[in-house]
Amino acid sequence: MLALAGLLGVLLLAWQAPASALTPRFYSELEFSPLRDIQIPDYERYELPNGLVVYLLEDHELPLVSGSASFRTGGRFEPADKVGLASLTGDAMRLGGTTDLDGDALNEALEQRAASIETGIDTSEGSASFSALTEDTEAVFGLFADVVQRPAFAADKVDLLRRQYSGSIARRNDSPDGITSREFRKLVYGADSPYARTAEYATLGAISEADIQQFYQASIRPEQTILGIVGDFDSAQMKQWIAAYFGDWQQSGAGLDEELPSVEQARAGVFVVSQPQLTQSYVQMGHIGGRLDYPDHAALAVMNEVLNGFGGRLFNEVRSRQGLAYSVYAFWAPRYDYPGLFIGGGQTRSEATVPFIRSTLGEINRMRTSPVTDAELAQAQDAVLNSFVFNFQSPSQTLARLMRYEYYDYPQDFVFQFQDQVRETTVQAILAAAQARLAPEQLVILVVGNPDDIQPGLDSLAPNTAVNPVDIAIPQPGA
Amino acid sequence: MTGRLQTARGFFAGRLRPTLIGLVALVSLWLWWPIAPAAARQPLQTAQAVQPYLDRVAEAITEFTLDNGMKFIVMERHQAPVVSFMIHANVGAVDETDGKTGVAHYLEHLAFKGTSRIGTKDFGAEQQAMAKLDAVFDEFLTAQAAGDQAQAGELQAELKALQQEAASFIEQNQYGQIIQQAGGVGLNATTSADETRYFYSLPANRLELWMSLESDRFLDPVFREFYEEKDVILEERRMRVDNSPIGTMIEKFLEEAFVSHPYRRPVIGYQDDLFVATRDDIQAFYDMYYGPGNLTAVVVGDVDPAEVQRMAEVYFGRYQSRAVPPQPVIDEPAQAAPREFTLTLPSEPWYLEGYHRPSLTHPDHVIYGMIDSMLVGGRTSRLYKTLVDEAQVALDIGSLNGFPGDRYDNIFLIYGLTAPGHTPEEIGDLFAQELRRLQQEPVSSQELDRIKTQARAGLLQRLASNSGMASLLAEYQAKTGDWRNLFSELKAIEAVSGADIQRVAQTLFQPTHRTVGKLLPAPSGP
Repeated sequence: MLALAGLLGVLLLAWQAPASALTPRFYSELEFSPLRDIQIPDYERYELPNGLVVYLLEDHELPLVSGSASFRTGGRFEPADKVGLASLTGDAMRLGGTTDLDGDALNEALEQRAASIETGIDTSEGSASFSALTEDTEAVFGLFADVVQRPAFAADKVDLLRRQYSGSIARRNDSPDGITSREFRKLVYGADSPYARTAEYATLGAISEADIQQFYQASIRPEQTILGIVGDFDSAQMKQWIAAYFGDWQQSGAGLDEELPSVEQARAGVFVVSQPQLTQSYVQMGHIGGRLDYPDHAALAVMNEVLNGFGGRLFNEVRSRQGLAYSVYAFWAPRYDYPGLFIGGGQTRSEATVPFIRSTLGEINRMRTSPVTDAELAQAQDAVLNSFVFNFQSPSQTLARLMRYEYYDYPQDFVFQFQDQVRETTVQAILAAAQARLAPEQLVILVVGNPDDIQPGLDSLAPNTAVNPVDIAIPQPGA
Repeated sequence: MTGRLQTARGFFAGRLRPTLIGLVALVSLWLWWPIAPAAARQPLQTAQAVQPYLDRVAEAITEFTLDNGMKFIVMERHQAPVVSFMIHANVGAVDETDGKTGVAHYLEHLAFKGTSRIGTKDFGAEQQAMAKLDAVFDEFLTAQAAGDQAQAGELQAELKALQQEAASFIEQNQYGQIIQQAGGVGLNATTSADETRYFYSLPANRLELWMSLESDRFLDPVFREFYEEKDVILEERRMRVDNSPIGTMIEKFLEEAFVSHPYRRPVIGYQDDLFVATRDDIQAFYDMYYGPGNLTAVVVGDVDPAEVQRMAEVYFGRYQSRAVPPQPVIDEPAQAAPREFTLTLPSEPWYLEGYHRPSLTHPDHVIYGMIDSMLVGGRTSRLYKTLVDEAQVALDIGSLNGFPGDRYDNIFLIYGLTAPGHTPEEIGDLFAQELRRLQQEPVSSQELDRIKTQARAGLLQRLASNSGMASLLAEYQAKTGDWRNLFSELKAIEAVSGADIQRVAQTLFQPTHRTVGKLLPAPSGP
């Protein structure tokens, strides 16, 4: 397919008369030659006998090499009474040094070479990455292998991380934005859901050194790892290094129970966090969403375009026409393997809170009740399709995408399937998708602000039910 | 979208360690982090390996100047059929006059509103509506100044009605919409103390679209939706300053650190100034500062430089030269005694400490960047190691070298977030200890090499981004007069010795030149 289009592209280009711009032309009078074809760089995928999957992609533009490993793990697999275990394990892998090199020496060894190694475990994925100048590739790759396979979890560095996590808990109500997004997720997924819960002093305190070791062993295993390397290297040489540094790696102990947590929406209605010092309301509204492999994913992505961005309905109406907010948005935000969110919101001066919410809701409802115009559809499709080339700007982008698809078990041509589906999206398909997926009766509307200045009050949004206060006081240690 | 004050990172600023849950990022987000040029060589081996790549990049860069004085820089990079654009206007909040703060940033927002042909359904009718609006707004200001609240209220209602009338002629956000429909990405602009930048990227076959739209934008701008946008900017101010403890803190810090320097005023402007700003204020500012001689354009990507020049002459050649704009008056008296202030806000504590440093034209400029790197760059840096890793009095530390800009004399700022159970004073004491050590103890060759290697690698990493290079080249051209300084500063850094660093540290970190700001929790914090 690509090769054919390429030939056609060459012919068209050859026929094109030399573009003559001797006079300035208005944008609508311009014509453009076809874009040269997207080049998918050559890459190699193979597996080691121990199950490690490897992707290699050479790119010799600059004398740099970088790599990253994805581990099938995540905070969603940690025990509910030990929230923070996954991310503590992920951070401590790097900070605590290796059995060969303590943390400080590891820092010195890397920074002396302007190299880096970082690790982390988020809700649904673990990762380790490195970057190095070409000449340091083997040295840094060796350190990277040590960090992945032989972390020391030195007690002093684990303690440092614990104190930093505690400090983060103490500071988590300092920013109204932070409060809003955290509490919104808790309302939608439930405060105890792995997709919303937060570390507390008590859950940090419950994590032992043995827990960290055990979570590491269950998480970071060759058969659960995808390693990708991109940059200025020779593949034959790199394969030797990979065999030398990762070939002997064996799993130990039991793995994770990889059953994904169940997800259902926890609450609905109007909620308020009282912050009397604020002159603005920070608003989020929405409900449980879906996954990228839904059949109407492309239609919902086009709907996002109609609602958002420059010339999107929300930007036009709520920001530019009514001047109600600097930031306003409403997105269908799917995830790969669990339901994401439908999430809208923004910030507005206290007294404009209810008008802001009503305007935004109005636009969301309009998506469900009447079809978008043909012009809006064309605008949105063009925006996605014409910018598609930006998915292929660099080899590292391609590599990261391939690894992500393998990690979440998506087809390797998913991005091209999406492109085709966007092209085929219709006005009717968007309306059907909006009706199927957007659920006004399920909305959580959360306002973080000063209730005394919110006039009309939030109760006007919920005439038949109460406005629910949300307590964000931080449970103190030992409480 | 428009008007976000973004982070632009210099070579040294690329963080070598993750920041703690984004706490530190808050500060750099508030301002536009100016470039901390300095980059280095270091162990000879790496210097030699890297140099050919830098030379190759430099060879891919060409430049030309139009007859009207507008400068263009073109960097060919054919890896993918895409191209990034940057217009860098050499004007920022530093150029504003007292009482009219925020005008540079306001103009940046309005530069997205279109032209007499883009963004309108009937420009003739729209113009009349705008004239009526402006007349009523002038009356409103007069009534307010006279304390006639009744009259002011009536006029305000009239303004609302007229706004609706004007809106009926407007094709909203059409300018940005055209770019997005054409596949444009990263459409945005930033205003800082020093400059205003307009940028996005397009598929490479749409080079002429940028030429047409971007030249029209500053040839024939229409500052429509002026009053609606004022509300938007006031919301932006509430969000970034009034409702952000660290935003409030930074605004206050600059007011304390400077007595008369225009850098003491906030980029977004004071609320009172924004209230009374008029469309004429914007127009006057535009007339003064948006002449072609004050603009630098950079094009990076899959383009033919000859074609860029041919089109630029046709499209941007339409601009008429204008008088060279005036330079701001900088008459900041030398600071004679330490300053200190405390703010009490609903937040856990922060500690900020700043010292006066010279502008980027000073011969020691790169050395300030190197000191910055030694103090806060990575986990081996001195402040991180002492305060975060060993004493654990700070959760994290950071810096802003060239705060709030560096076209003129400015501030070298370091700051820390207290760890639980520790005080801002403990952070201040350890800062003092480390700064003293830098002044008194020789710098090891190992540390010096590390700083230089990091600078060189930092530049190398930036070369792989079209938009990043567009931003760097424009900044160096506009601020130093020559984009080549981006590369020559690497050589300058090679020559820096440990003694040079000690010398600059001794000049820079003098208690009499210091401003300290402490943010303490409000007693009944949330």
